[in-house]
Amino acid sequence: MAAQRTMRDPGAARRAWAEQANGEAVPSAKLTYEGSQPFGGELLHRWRLGNGLTVLLLVDGAAPVASYHTWFKVGSRHERPGKTGLAHLFEHLMFNETESLKAGTFDRKLEENGAETNAATWVDWTYYYESLPAERVKLAIQLEAERMTRLVLREPQVASEKEVVANERRYRVDDDVEGSANELLYKTAFSQHPYQWPTIGWMEDIQGFTPEDCVAFYRTYYAPNNATVVVVGDIRERDVLLAIRNAYGTIAAQAIPAEDIDPEPVQLERRETEVRKPTATEKLLVAFKGPALGDADHAVATVLNEVLFGGRASRLYKTLIVDRELATDVRGWVSTFRDPGLFECWATARGTHTTHEIQAVMDDAFARLRADVVSPEELARAKARLELGLLQQLETIPGKAEQIGFFETVLGDPSHAFRRVEAFRRATESDVRRVARRYLRDEGSTVVRVLPESGAAREAAQ
Amino acid sequence: MSAAKSRARAPVRFDLDGGALALLEASHALPLVSIVVALRSGSAADPTGKSGLARIAMRMLRRGCEGMIAEQIDFRIDSLGAEMAVDTAPSTVAIHAQVISRSVGGLVELLTRLLTTPTFPIDELERLKRETIAEIVEARDNDRVVGQKALQRTLFEDHAYGRNSGGTVESVASITRDDVMAFYRRYVVQGNIVVGISGDMDADQAPVVARALIAGLSRGAPAPDDVPEPTMRRGRRLLVVDKPERTQTQILVGTMGTSTHDDDHVALVVANAVFGGTFTSRLMKEVRSKRGWSYGASARTVVDRRRQAWVMWTFPAAEDAAACLKLTLELMGTWVEKGVTPREVAFIERYLVRSHAFEVDTAAKRLHQALDVELLALPADYYSSWTDRVRAVTPEAASAAVRNRIHPADLLAVVVGTAAQVLAPLREAIPDLAEASVVPFDAE
Repeated sequence: MAAQRTMRDPGAARRAWAEQANGEAVPSAKLTYEGSQPFGGELLHRWRLGNGLTVLLLVDGAAPVASYHTWFKVGSRHERPGKTGLAHLFEHLMFNETESLKAGTFDRKLEENGAETNAATWVDWTYYYESLPAERVKLAIQLEAERMTRLVLREPQVASEKEVVANERRYRVDDDVEGSANELLYKTAFSQHPYQWPTIGWMEDIQGFTPEDCVAFYRTYYAPNNATVVVVGDIRERDVLLAIRNAYGTIAAQAIPAEDIDPEPVQLERRETEVRKPTATEKLLVAFKGPALGDADHAVATVLNEVLFGGRASRLYKTLIVDRELATDVRGWVSTFRDPGLFECWATARGTHTTHEIQAVMDDAFARLRADVVSPEELARAKARLELGLLQQLETIPGKAEQIGFFETVLGDPSHAFRRVEAFRRATESDVRRVARRYLRDEGSTVVRVLPESGAAREAAQ
Repeated sequence: MSAAKSRARAPVRFDLDGGALALLEASHALPLVSIVVALRSGSAADPTGKSGLARIAMRMLRRGCEGMIAEQIDFRIDSLGAEMAVDTAPSTVAIHAQVISRSVGGLVELLTRLLTTPTFPIDELERLKRETIAEIVEARDNDRVVGQKALQRTLFEDHAYGRNSGGTVESVASITRDDVMAFYRRYVVQGNIVVGISGDMDADQAPVVARALIAGLSRGAPAPDDVPEPTMRRGRRLLVVDKPERTQTQILVGTMGTSTHDDDHVALVVANAVFGGTFTSRLMKEVRSKRGWSYGASARTVVDRRRQAWVMWTFPAAEDAAACLKLTLELMGTWVEKGVTPREVAFIERYLVRSHAFEVDTAAKRLHQALDVELLALPADYYSSWTDRVRAVTPEAASAAVRNRIHPADLLAVVVGTAAQVLAPLREAIPDLAEASVVPFDAE
C-alpha cells in the first residue's frame, strides 16, 4: 500500500530526499519541497528554505548552460517622494564590493567563468541574473548569497554610481524623446500611486542619495524571505539545492514591512499635457487606466491591443501607417504591473501631420471597439500572434528563467505565461467589446503630445 | 539528441537547383520554425545614388504577388502566427520569417509566391518609399544612430561601406520601379540564394521546403564579389554632429580594424576584448567604474567580407565629453603602444572560451553562424575552430596584432552633441588634430 501511495505522489521521493538531506541543519537551512507544476512540456519544482527563500528549478537539457535568477519583491513602488530611484541605484550598487570580494571582483569572477550577468529594476520588482556554463552554476549561487547579505556600501562607490545612473538617465530619458514622453505620461496619469514616478528616479533625487539611504534600503528589502531564486538549465537538481542550502542557509529572514500604498483614485476627466522637444515630428501618447496583470481582464485587454496594433494587418497600423499615412510608427501596450497600470498607445506623426489628426483616428477605433464586436478572423489573428510571442520568449534558457521569475514575483504563479495563452484562446468577440467598454473611457484617459521645438526641425520633417 | 551532440555537428547542407544552397539546424525543443532567404549580395551592390535599393526591393516582395495585394499578404502573415522582416547589410540582404510549426506549410506556400511571382505595384513602391523616408527622418531622434551613420559615411567616405544600407532621403526618393525590377532579375535568382531553416523541422522535410521556395526562380549566377578594400584618410579628424539641447554626448572613435582572413584576426579580437569587450575591460573600468562618466564604454571589431572598422563608443554628459574623449584616446594609445599583459590575455581567453556556450545555445544561433560563413565569405572553420584559435593566442601575438592593425594616428572621432557647448573643448582634447568640422544632425 505504501508503494502505491508513493506512485500516486510524485513529490514523495523529493520530500524523502529533503528529509534525509536536512539532517541536523539549522531551521533556516532546512529544505522543504512544495510541489511541482507543468511548465510547457516540463516540470517546474518549487522548494523553500527555512529562512523563507523560494527556489524554483526547471531542468532543461536543451543546451549545456544554466541561468540563475534572483528576483526581489522590491521596486520603485516601495520608494517615497524625495527618494525616487533608490531601488534602481541600489541595483547598480549590488555589483560593487562585498565583505569578502573587493570592488570589481564579482564581475571578474563571473566573466572568467564565461558568465553573462546583469540586472533590471522596475515598478514591482528587481532581478539579477547570471547565465553561465551549466557546470559553473555553483559560482552564481555563492556570489548571489554573498551579496544578498554582505554588501559593503561606502561613500566613494555610492558617489560614483550616482554619476553612472545620472548618465543612464540622460541617455534613457532626458535626451530621448520617447523616454521623456513616457515619464511625463505616468507623472500625469497617476496622482497617488507610486507608479507616478520613474523607476530611474528624478535627477535631483538621484543626486541626493547617501550611503545611509542605501544601507537602510538594503537592510529592509534584501532578505531571503523577500526573494525567489530561479534556476533553469542543464543542472542536477539535488546538487543545486545543496549548494543553495549551504550558501543561503545561514542568512536570517527579516521582517518585511507591510506595503503602505495609496490606491490610485478613479480618474474622472481626461488629462492632457504637452512638451516641446528638438524633434522633427509630433508624437502622441494616449493612455487609459488599465487592468492589473492578475486581473482576468488583462489577457483580454492584451488581445484587444493586438487587434489594434499587432502586425501590419492590425486596425491602427493599417489605418495610420498604410492607408492614411499619418504616422511612421504606432504601438500599444497593456502594462504588466501588479496594480492597475495603463493601456498605452504611442504614435509618431509622419511629416507635418499632427497628433490631433492621429488622435481622431484612434478615438474612432476605440469607439468602434466599444460599439461592435471584432471579427472572428481578427480575433484568430491576434491570438496566433500572441502565441508566437510566447514561444519566442521561451527560445532560450535565460528567457525561460525570466518568464518564471517575473510571473512568480508579480502573481505568485511561475507558469502563468501558459495560463495567459489559454486565456487568450478563451477570449471571445464579446469579451473584447466588454473590456473596451470598461477601459477605453475618455474620462479615464491621459494624453501627452510631443511637439517639435523649432522651425528648423519642422522643416526637416517636410 | 543531447545539446552537446547537436553542437558538435555543423548544420545539414543541401545543394539545390541552380547553385542555390540550403542549411538546416533542427531543434524540436519548441514548435517554432525560422526560415531565412538570404542573397549573396547586399547594400554594397546598390548603384551609386541609389543606396537603399536592396532593402526597398526585398521589402517590395511582400507588397504584391500574383493573386494577392499587399493587404491580403499582411493579413495572411498575421493569421498564420508568423512574422516576416527584411535585414540588410553591406554583403547580404535577407528575409527572416518565423512561424508556429503547425502553420509552416502555409508560410512556405506564401513565401514561395512572394519570391517567385512578385508584381511590384507602382503605388505600393511609392508608398514604401514614403514610409522609408519617414523612418529615416524619425531615426534622427536617436543620437546613437545619428552618430553611427555619421561615423560610417565619414570614415569610409566614397567606399560602399560608407553608404547606409537603408539609404538617404534623396537616394530612396530616386529609386524607380525599373530599379527594383532590375534588382530582382539580377539578384533574386537561384545562384545567388542561400536558404536557412532552423527549429522544428526534420532533415527529410527541409530540402523539400527549400526546393519549393526557389523552384520558380530563374537560375542566374552569384553576384560578383567586386567591392574593393576600403581605405581611410590619414590623420586625426573630429566631426561634431550638432544637435540642440543635448545634456549628453555620443562619442564614437573609429579607425580601420580587421579582416577575418588576417593571420592575426583572432589575436586582435582577443586583445580588443581586453580593451573594451567586457564589463571589466580597461575602458569600462576607467570610464564607468572609476569616474562614473558614462553608463557604458566599449570597443568592437566589425566583421564583413572586407576589412571593416574598429569602433570605440561611450556616452558621457556634455560637460564630461572632452575629458572622456581625452581619456579614451590615451587608453587607446597605451593599448597600442604597450599591448596587453599575459594576465589579461589568460583572463579574457577563459571568458571567450567558456562563454562560447551562449553563442551556440539555440538552433537559430547555430544556423546564423553557418549563414555568416557563406554570406560573408568567412574562413570555413571560422566558428567551428573558434575556441581552439582563441586558446592559441599568446600575449605577444595579441599585442602585436593591436600594434600592427590599430593606428591611433589615423582616426575619426564623431561626437553627437550641442556644438556650441562641446566643440572647443573637444578640439583641445585631441592631440595632433588635423581637421575638425561640424555638420547638422540631419545631414546625410
